[in-house]
Amino acid sequence: MHPRGRLRPPFAMIARLGKNVSEAFGNFLYATGFLYNLVKESVLFLRRRQVGFRVLVMQLLFTAVEAMGIIALISLALGAVIVVQGISILPKFGQGKLIYTILLIVITRELGPLLTAFVIIARSGTAIATELGNMVISHEIEAYVSVGINPISYLAVPRFLGVTLSMVLLTIYFNFFGLFGSYVVTQFITPIQLHDYFQNLLGAMSVADIASSLIKALVFGILISFTAIYQGFKVRASSTEIPQVAIKAVGQGFVLCILADAVITLIYYV
Amino acid sequence: MDSVIELQSVTVHSKEHISLDEVSVAFPANKSTVIMGPSGSGKSMLLKVAAAIIPPDNGRVLIHGRNLQRLGQKDLLEFRRCSGFMFQDAALWENKTIFENLALPIQLHYPRRSREEIEGRIRELLQQMNLLDSLDLRPVALSEGEQKIVSFLRAIVLDPDILFLDEPTTSIDHQLLEKMLRFIKTLNERGCTIIAVTHDAHLTAMIANYLVILKDGRVLEAAGTAVVRRSASREVIEILSQVLSEAAAYDTDILDLLEE
Repeated sequence: MHPRGRLRPPFAMIARLGKNVSEAFGNFLYATGFLYNLVKESVLFLRRRQVGFRVLVMQLLFTAVEAMGIIALISLALGAVIVVQGISILPKFGQGKLIYTILLIVITRELGPLLTAFVIIARSGTAIATELGNMVISHEIEAYVSVGINPISYLAVPRFLGVTLSMVLLTIYFNFFGLFGSYVVTQFITPIQLHDYFQNLLGAMSVADIASSLIKALVFGILISFTAIYQGFKVRASSTEIPQVAIKAVGQGFVLCILADAVITLIYYV
Repeated sequence: MDSVIELQSVTVHSKEHISLDEVSVAFPANKSTVIMGPSGSGKSMLLKVAAAIIPPDNGRVLIHGRNLQRLGQKDLLEFRRCSGFMFQDAALWENKTIFENLALPIQLHYPRRSREEIEGRIRELLQQMNLLDSLDLRPVALSEGEQKIVSFLRAIVLDPDILFLDEPTTSIDHQLLEKMLRFIKTLNERGCTIIAVTHDAHLTAMIANYLVILKDGRVLEAAGTAVVRRSASREVIEILSQVLSEAAAYDTDILDLLEE
């Protein structure tokens, strides 16, 4: 021990490290418990008549319907870029038909779910974390508890289900517009019959492509909504915590989605 | 003494601060208890723990003699139906209209009630407070005092048997205050258990049967007003005169005021 009761530098460092590890472990256990509670309440939510049903509808409206414009724009542009790049290079190697496989891999399997996730994180992830954080600060959550409403089932579950469902629906929508957009662009370069285009596309498509896309969308939706809700509820007392949790919701959302994407892709190929 | 809520060795703390330190207190049924203490003494926290809004870190909360932690969903929901809580900062739901703020507790506990019945009850309450025009407004459109009145109405909308009030009279203008005090008095006379945190000498004089004096998260005194009046503790007397500063400013004898 140091004369003044403090630990010597190497021991102090170890003690600090131990404290951080213990805190991180505690947070992990808490987050796991929170996720368990969220999933359990989600199952119950679907079973019983809920006053929170309106919150779910509003969440779907905000996350899915209001994001349709930006998703359509991104997916059309992405489809167009892939077609322009592909058509200018692939025929030189006699691989013109490979464009359909590339379209499916890039749009359906990879960038469709991932870009949709990024849009949802930026729009809904921040909104959820900020809104819930503000509700904690203004004691609105305590007010729900005081009248007998479980904040998890009334506030968290509709957002969890709303974002997850929106993620799946928007991914399908992204895929449709991405593949349709590529067809529109093809017409300007090498006009092709709609029937032939979709026949080639469907010929290159497998059930695994669709399954991979939907599984990713589902997992990303769960991760994004859970992270945003968890961060929102982590606010304790001060309004200065709100931007911090919003940033964490975005940062952790991105990281978790990219990691999950890598894992699911690896599982697909292994 | 028949107690409706009892706290046994309750401690609530954060990383850097102890809000309640080994607090043991029982709130008598069908009586009005006023919790007093200097700012930061843990009054609001005590009220929220007693109302089962914030769980204690240590100790037990007994509701009608039953441990809160072991209370089933149904019993807890029944306790919520029979109790109302008015928050110090109103805590209205910002994304809902005043009607929705008042209707939600009814819709939750009485899902079979028709829209007309719910609207009738809410209109009746708002009418008495001259706030009927606010029915479709969001809380942000109301003044701080009006928001507190709506928070009070939300607490009594289900005709509670236990009413928790956290600084109910602050920020409210004289006219509305008179009306609210009349409401509280009626509830008090009807035998509703009232547990209030207040600095208001008049409210205290009007309803208090029982006083809880807090300091630094500890209970200094918890007894009937007559007993507290005779308290030999200098600390208790000091806190009473400090807390009820309004009355002190008029040079009124605090203890006489409590005797009214």
